[in-house]
Amino acid sequence: MIERYNLFLHEFSQEASKELQLFSIIAQSFFQPFSLMDNLLVIMTALTAGPGLGFNRAMLFLTEGDCLKGEFWLGPASAEEADSVWRVLSTPGIGYPEIIEHNRSLLTREADTLTKRVKKLSYPLYKEPSLIPTLTASARQMILVRDARNEPGVDKRFAEMIGTDEFLCIPLVSQKEGLGEIILDNAITRLPITGRDIELASICGLMAGNYIYTAKLQKRIVDMKKVAAMGEMAMFVTHQLRNPLVTIGGFADQLLDPQTGEKKKKRNIQIIRSEIRRLEKILLRLSQFLRIDVREKIAVDVQEMLNLVLEQIRPRISGRRIAIDMEIEAGLRVILCDPTNAGEAVRNVLDNAIDAVGDEGRIDVRAYRESAEWAVIAVQDTGKGIPEAIKDKIFDSFVSTKEKGMGLGLAYVKRVVDACGGRIEIKSAEGKGTTFKLYFQTQPRERGTNP
Amino acid sequence: MKKRLLIVEDEKNLCLLYREELTKAGYKVTAVMDADTALEQLKKHSFDLIITDIRMPGKNGIELITQIMALRKDIPIIINTAYQSYKHDFMTWAADAYVVKSASLDELKDKIKELVG
Repeated sequence: MIERYNLFLHEFSQEASKELQLFSIIAQSFFQPFSLMDNLLVIMTALTAGPGLGFNRAMLFLTEGDCLKGEFWLGPASAEEADSVWRVLSTPGIGYPEIIEHNRSLLTREADTLTKRVKKLSYPLYKEPSLIPTLTASARQMILVRDARNEPGVDKRFAEMIGTDEFLCIPLVSQKEGLGEIILDNAITRLPITGRDIELASICGLMAGNYIYTAKLQKRIVDMKKVAAMGEMAMFVTHQLRNPLVTIGGFADQLLDPQTGEKKKKRNIQIIRSEIRRLEKILLRLSQFLRIDVREKIAVDVQEMLNLVLEQIRPRISGRRIAIDMEIEAGLRVILCDPTNAGEAVRNVLDNAIDAVGDEGRIDVRAYRESAEWAVIAVQDTGKGIPEAIKDKIFDSFVSTKEKGMGLGLAYVKRVVDACGGRIEIKSAEGKGTTFKLYFQTQPRERGTNP
Repeated sequence: MKKRLLIVEDEKNLCLLYREELTKAGYKVTAVMDADTALEQLKKHSFDLIITDIRMPGKNGIELITQIMALRKDIPIIINTAYQSYKHDFMTWAADAYVVKSASLDELKDKIKELVG
């Protein structure tokens, strides 16, 4: 006997404490595919959701270089607003999702004076003496202020802005660096901040710090990947351009040589011209690849698309003993894609199949429904197969088994299929052949049209 | 007596350019476009120097060098390629020089002079 539970709990039992619910909301928010700021909004919302739990208002600062910068400030602006908002929030059926939505709309609203006020704030972190609010971030300690107006450790202008005597500052930290600060208060209800509140807030602060740190690391990894890809690309382009340039340079030098005869000069100019055309072709292919622009997906007639592709590909197999067979399932009429790019992607796969087959073999192109939602265009060849060593890399740009290949074909295919919302599956055995399956969404099968 | 060079370069126009320019520079040049033809030539004739590209259809330049070594022919080899990165390839140590293709043939000519005179 086993029992299964969803890791992401949406409903809690009656006995579940408010604290447990709060932590659950915050922990789950880290798995939301939203932006860093959006997920921080969820955390801050959880900290201020209603009068029964947590705090009235929450202010967020993030570290930017050597400064602590105000990001947003959640909570009702006045007692009247608090009253109406909290009454709505305590209506049965209103849960965290609704509150988060409410807060999100607050941030974009012009009249949100709290956030507007805090957005203007920026405190230098390493200026002595360190006053509150920067003291919390630099000392990496929680600080509870009881009497802000008479406390010399609090920045006067800050005390004026927050307008309440009691507030709690929580640092947001990672192992190595300070990331920001959350400031919580009970300006509306005037309830004192208790030891339990501080304990609760400290865990939320730790979780939020951890989350910000992870998000920053992720961004850094993406940036590094981008830089690496650009380096690879620059290297590749250099190589692609070198051969034609050497040829052009060499034959141009000959033109300048007085000993070169007229006939040879003419020949050289022709060579130079053809090499320049080659350069142009390389640039064209690169730019095509760099700006794949998948227009809106439309219902495309599979038969029509594949016929066109096969027509284009026929000249490549003339004179070779390659048989290409096409079979389209009778029930499949359309797939959802951008016809130009998807057709070009299928052509790329076919091009590869022809290269793999060589002078003799067969290629089967089949289109069929895999399920109600998915259609497959499969290209199966009897060619040499994909070498084991590069199987994992075949969709990377600039990886090619062909000595003069640019390695853009399959990278292009993947980008197009991804952009159309589909996916690719490959089966390959060295010496036996390869099958590429391109999955595209189809319109749901209509009842009664089934043959 | 003219020195004999064997050039392996799969690009037709480059092959032509090298043949013309190195002939003009006073060498007897045989230019072929793939490694297998180069090996055939090596079995039939004697050469003073081999110049080879790396990336070629069929056997690549590194495989060619390996086979030349297996033939126990003591002929100097120049690798002439568009790729800087092969310099770190294990087998390129077997070559006597590594020249990155450039629009000027001066470096290649200098290396040839250095190796065969």
